[in-house]
Amino acid sequence: MKNKAMILEKLDRSILRKILPALISIVILSIPLFTFPQKNLWVRIIGYAGLYIILGLGLLVHVGLAGMFDLGFAAFYAIGAYSYAFLASPHFDIHIPFLIAILIAGGLAALVGVLICIPVLKLRGDYLGIVTLGFGEIVRMLLMNLSDFTNGSQGIMQIDKPNIFGFVFKESVYFYYLIFGLVAILLFLLNRIINSRTGRAWLAMREDEDVAQMSGIDVSKYKLLAFAIGAFIGGLGGAIFSSWQGSIFPDNFNMNVSINILCIVILGGLGNQYGVILGAMALIALPDILRGLSDYRMIIFGLLLIIMMILKPQGFLPRKAPQYEKKALPDKGKEVQS
Amino acid sequence: MQKLIEQLINGLTVGSFYALIALGYTMVYGVLSMINFAHGDIFMVGAYWGCFTISKLSDIGLTESNPALAIIIALIAGAFGSAITGIIVERLAYRPLRNASRLATLISAIGTSIFLEELVRLVPTFGSFIASIHFGDKNLFPESWSTAIIDATKTFGGAMVKTYPGILGTEGITVGGIVISYSRIMIMTVAVVFMILLYMLVRLTKTGKAMRAVSEDQETAALMGINVNKIISNTFFIGSALAGVAGVMMGLFYLQIRPLMGFTPGIKAFTAAVVGGIGNIPGAMLGGYLLGLIEVISVQFLPAIYKDIVAFVVLIIMLIVKPTGILGNSGGKSKL
Repeated sequence: MKNKAMILEKLDRSILRKILPALISIVILSIPLFTFPQKNLWVRIIGYAGLYIILGLGLLVHVGLAGMFDLGFAAFYAIGAYSYAFLASPHFDIHIPFLIAILIAGGLAALVGVLICIPVLKLRGDYLGIVTLGFGEIVRMLLMNLSDFTNGSQGIMQIDKPNIFGFVFKESVYFYYLIFGLVAILLFLLNRIINSRTGRAWLAMREDEDVAQMSGIDVSKYKLLAFAIGAFIGGLGGAIFSSWQGSIFPDNFNMNVSINILCIVILGGLGNQYGVILGAMALIALPDILRGLSDYRMIIFGLLLIIMMILKPQGFLPRKAPQYEKKALPDKGKEVQS
Repeated sequence: MQKLIEQLINGLTVGSFYALIALGYTMVYGVLSMINFAHGDIFMVGAYWGCFTISKLSDIGLTESNPALAIIIALIAGAFGSAITGIIVERLAYRPLRNASRLATLISAIGTSIFLEELVRLVPTFGSFIASIHFGDKNLFPESWSTAIIDATKTFGGAMVKTYPGILGTEGITVGGIVISYSRIMIMTVAVVFMILLYMLVRLTKTGKAMRAVSEDQETAALMGINVNKIISNTFFIGSALAGVAGVMMGLFYLQIRPLMGFTPGIKAFTAAVVGGIGNIPGAMLGGYLLGLIEVISVQFLPAIYKDIVAFVVLIIMLIVKPTGILGNSGGKSKL
């Protein structure tokens, strides 16, 4: 009887773990292949949600994995976007190939992430959130006011479309696949990191920083690493955004963007990389689904955020305890019984 | 020298707004250890209630015959409008999440913030919707009621900028060649009066004592027979009422209000609360005035567009140098 239940449970889990993600990826990948009304609009909306999955994965490293509360993630997004725009547009008349430019954009964002992380290593919780919020606003205002360099509120126009080995990404459909390809790569890499020594160090740090420090984890090092990786991912997202839109303005990176990304991470389930996908789809697509309600959509969106948090404060997919913790417990029980 | 003093007075005026709003942040943080992200919007709701009241008073001519009384009535209306909003927000959006993670509360607060902004924007839409409810051929409300509802909701909110009737004027008194307008005097006086009242309330009354107890240790306070929920409600009432007062005064001073007006003052007031030491009431007042002064002085040396950056730079330097704020203490002492 017990065995049967266990098998059922295992089956259940394997369905959830393996078949569901496969199903979701097939659905996502095949959407542009069908024809349906307003197809281009929907490809754009879902592609946009995909962009937010990338950003959400970046913030997930900060907030979900390392436990560093970040309210200014749009800053890294902006740095990535502007770096790419500088490197591949008529603005400075530089045209660097896409793959190199996007890596430089991510690298610059990571560098800035490390630089702002160093002075605030000691800060925790809400205070860190407020510093990063301030940082995000400073970046946006600098972009706005350093007009000689960034062209101020006029923004940067005619940014190059990505060109990978001669293939030019011109339509939204190509960006759609580019974005979800990157999502897949990031998910794979993040999975590897989460299950590595680094991931376990982050987990320990997130649960209790002092205990982690006393267990011999170099907290400063892992914090800097988390900030750099998260910022790098944010920078990649920014570069894709600017190449997709073709023109960027400082107001693309205001505080609402940071808050939206944070909502995605928390709604999806804090610390769960698959939750980010669900969160981004819900949050970015929802206002568009609600578009039929035109004027009322934002008020309903606000209301849904509150209701969602009250009903499911852990998010859609709460993070499960890692496997090695689970296995250890039943064995101990057996020893006591025998 | 003359210019410097003028700027100082300007800084104290702006600082009064920041200080009043910062008090709400700090009190809520004191009792609940949470950042009330919707506080800026509660402030905005107060400004709208004040605007509504003063427009109605101006219709009956009170702003002409007795402007002081009109201002007092508007301040009270704004304070109560905000306070009731604050209590409802706490009851519906924060209380169910009191034992959830901080981030869940934060998201709920962000949702509340969006909801309040949109609500104020959509009030006229809701008004005409309610007025047009009908069963078959019969309207729910008689004709005169419907027009009254539509009129009132149109006066109250909407997507467009609302304008306060300019009753404060630009006259003032001249002291040694420096003109201090009555509006500035009014704002600074009202702010100081409310802060003294608040300080007395927290220090001298039984409710204040209970609030301090809850801020120190919620469970022990509950064991001592303090109704924690009631005290938290009271805290939201008082903090929001102060924000409402600030909202009405800001409307009277700058004349224009809009649904998204709460964001920037809200963030700056939060900065003020952190600079003074979050959870600390005198700290919030000090931080508010300090931030106002720093902002005004910085404008002397930098282009005005950097005014908003200055606040954040101050915040970041403060947090790096002394994260607990000027008057904050990390020890076990009461936070209020």
